[in-house]
Amino acid sequence: MNGLVPRTVAMLLGMALIAAGAGVMLGAHWGWGLFCSGVLALLVYHLRHLAMLGRWVSGPSTETVPESSGIWDDVFSKLYRRQRGEIRQRRRFARLLARSQQAGRALPYGVTILDAERQIVWCNDSAEAHFSISMEGDVGQAVTNLVRQPEFAAYINRGDYAEPLELTTARKEELILSIQMVPYVESHHLLLSRDVTQAHKLGIVRRDFVANVSHELRTPLTVLIGFLETVRDLKLDATRSRDYLNLMAEQGRRMQRIIEDLLTLSALESAPQPPGGERIDMAALLAQVRNEAEALSAGRHTISFEAEAGVDLAGNAGEIASAFSNLANNAVRYTPAGGSIRIQWRAVGEGAEFSVADNGIGIDAEHLPRLTERFYRVDRSRSRETGGTGLGLAIAKHALARHQATLAIASEPGKGSRFSVRFPKSRVRAAQPHSVAVDITSAGATFAQDLTPIHQYKT
Amino acid sequence: MGSDHLSKQFDNDLEALRSQVLQMGGLVEAQVRGAIQAFSNGDLALADQIVAAEVRVNAFEVQIDTDCSHIIVRRQPAATDLRLIMAITKTVTDLERIGDEAHKVARMARQIHERGVVEVGRFANIRHTGDAAVNMLRQALDAFARLDVEDAGRIIAEDRAIDFEFKSVIRQLITYMMEDPRTISTALEIIWIAKAIERIGDHAKNICEQVIYIVMGTDIRHTKPEKDEDGKLLQKN
Repeated sequence: MNGLVPRTVAMLLGMALIAAGAGVMLGAHWGWGLFCSGVLALLVYHLRHLAMLGRWVSGPSTETVPESSGIWDDVFSKLYRRQRGEIRQRRRFARLLARSQQAGRALPYGVTILDAERQIVWCNDSAEAHFSISMEGDVGQAVTNLVRQPEFAAYINRGDYAEPLELTTARKEELILSIQMVPYVESHHLLLSRDVTQAHKLGIVRRDFVANVSHELRTPLTVLIGFLETVRDLKLDATRSRDYLNLMAEQGRRMQRIIEDLLTLSALESAPQPPGGERIDMAALLAQVRNEAEALSAGRHTISFEAEAGVDLAGNAGEIASAFSNLANNAVRYTPAGGSIRIQWRAVGEGAEFSVADNGIGIDAEHLPRLTERFYRVDRSRSRETGGTGLGLAIAKHALARHQATLAIASEPGKGSRFSVRFPKSRVRAAQPHSVAVDITSAGATFAQDLTPIHQYKT
Repeated sequence: MGSDHLSKQFDNDLEALRSQVLQMGGLVEAQVRGAIQAFSNGDLALADQIVAAEVRVNAFEVQIDTDCSHIIVRRQPAATDLRLIMAITKTVTDLERIGDEAHKVARMARQIHERGVVEVGRFANIRHTGDAAVNMLRQALDAFARLDVEDAGRIIAEDRAIDFEFKSVIRQLITYMMEDPRTISTALEIIWIAKAIERIGDHAKNICEQVIYIVMGTDIRHTKPEKDEDGKLLQKN
C-alpha cells in the first residue's frame, strides 16, 4: 500500500465504511453528509499538493522539492531524491567541464573552436593573445572577420588542412604563427595556433651568423692574398717588402683573433656546467684588465680606475677576465683620442658592480637591443679599423650570464656610454684581508653615469 | 513558418555581405601594409605585387555593390538592415579609396627606389605615420566587425594624431629641401606618399563613422559627437 492511487482508493473505501456505519446508527443524511465532507477534505488535500507540485515544477530548477505530509510525502520524497541525484550529477559535470576548459585554457598552443560557419565557439587564452580576440565579445563572430589576412581566409576556405599555414599577424607587435585546422565533432573545427616568432628569429640569426663569419674571415684573407701575389710577382726592395710582410702579419693576426674569439664563444656555449665557486683574486684580475686597456690606449686616453677592496667574486677567473677586458677594451676602441674612461669595481647593495663609463661617441638607442649579437656593428667601416672582432660583447654576455650577472648599457650619442655588470649576492665573497685597494682618480672628466636609454640584456 | 525561414535566409545574406566587406578590408589592410613596407625597405618586387593586386580590390568593390543592390531589390530592408546596407556601400567606397592610396604609395616607392638616390632611413617618420595609419585602419575594421561604438569613437579621435604627424613630416621635408636642393624632386614624391597615408587615416575615420551610424542611427559626419555627462556617446532611440 505505497502508491498514491491505491492509498487514495483505500481511504475512500475506509470513509465509505465509516459513513455507512454512521448512516446505520444516525440516519442516512448523517451518513451521506459525513462521506461527502470526507471526500471534500481529501479533494482539498490533493488539490493543495497538486498546486505545490505545479509551483515547484514551474519554478527554477534549483529550488528544493516542497515538504509535505501523508500520502503525497512518498511522491515528494522520491522527487527530492531524484533532484538531489541530478544536482550532484550536474555539479560533477560542471566540475569536469570546468576542468577540461581549464586544461584547454592553460595549453601553450592557441586553441579556437569554430563551428560549421567558421564562427568562434570557444577559444583559450593563447588564442586570444595570438589573434587579439576575446571570449567575452567575439563568440559567434566569423573568425575571418577578425583575422582578415587574405592568406588566412584562403587557407580556411581551402578545406585541405594537411599543411600548416605560416601567418604573420597584423597586430602591433608582429607575431609569426603556425596555424592548422583540425576537424572536430559535427563539422566543427579546431583552429590551432603556435607562436613561432622566436624560432624564426633564431633561424635568421643562424643564417646571418654563417654569412657574417665567412665575410669577416674573407676580408683579411683577400688582403693577405693580394699582398702575397704582389710580393710573388714583383721585385720589391727590402723596406717595401718588410712593410708588406708586416701588413700581412697583421691581417693574419686579425684572422687569428676572430678564430680565437669564435672558439671562446663556442667553448662558453658548450661548457655544460656553470663555473663553480672558486674564489677569484679580483685585485689581480682588475690589474690585468687595467694593464690591457692602458696598453691598447697607448696613452691616448685618460683612464681612471677605482676598485673597492674587500669585494671578491666566486666563479671562473678566465671567463670574468675576458668579459671585463672586452668591456674595457671596447671603451678604449670607441673613445676618440683625448677622451676619458672610468673603470669601477664596487659593492652595490648586497651584490657587486663592474662598470666602464666613457665620454666617447655613444650609441643610438635603436642599436642597443642588438649590440650583443655576434658581428653586429653600429658602423661597419669604423669598427674594423679599430681592430675589434665583433665578438667581444657576445663573449662578455655569455660569460656573464654563466655567472648570473646582468649586463646593462646606458648610452647617448655624442655623450658617451656606460656598461655596467651586476653580480648577485650569491657570487660575491668577502676578500682576503691582504688585498690592497687600487685607487687612481682622474680629474675633471664627465661621464655617462645617468644616461637615459638603458638597455638591460636578458641573461 | 515560411516568413521565419525567409528572414533567416535574409540574416544569412546580410552576414555574408558583412563578411565580404571584412575580407575586402583584410585585403586592403595587407595592401597598405605592403606598400609602406615596400617604400621603407625598397622592396621592388613587393611594390609590383601591390600594384598588381589593386585589381582584386576593385573586383571586391563591384561584387559587394552588386550584392547590396540585389538585397535592396529583393528584400526591401527597413530600419537597422537598411542602415547596415547603406553603411556597407559607403564603407566599400572608403576601402576602395584606401586601396587606391596603397597603390599610389607602392607606385611612388617604385619610382623613388628605382632611381636609387634617396636614403629612406632618413624618412623614418613616414614609416611611423604609416604604421599609425595601418593600425587605425585595422582597429576601424575590428570596430566594424564587432559593431563596437566605443572603439569607433576612440579611433575617430586618433585621426588627429595622424594629421599632426603628417604636418611634422612636411616640416621635416621642407628643411631637407632647403638644406640641399638636389633632394627636392624626391622630397616632393615623398610628400605624395605622406599625403596618401594621411588620406588613409581619413578613410579609416569614415569607416568608424559608419559603424556609429549602423548601431545608433546617428549620422555624425561633419559634426562633433554628442556626449552625455559620462563622456559616453548618446544613443538615438
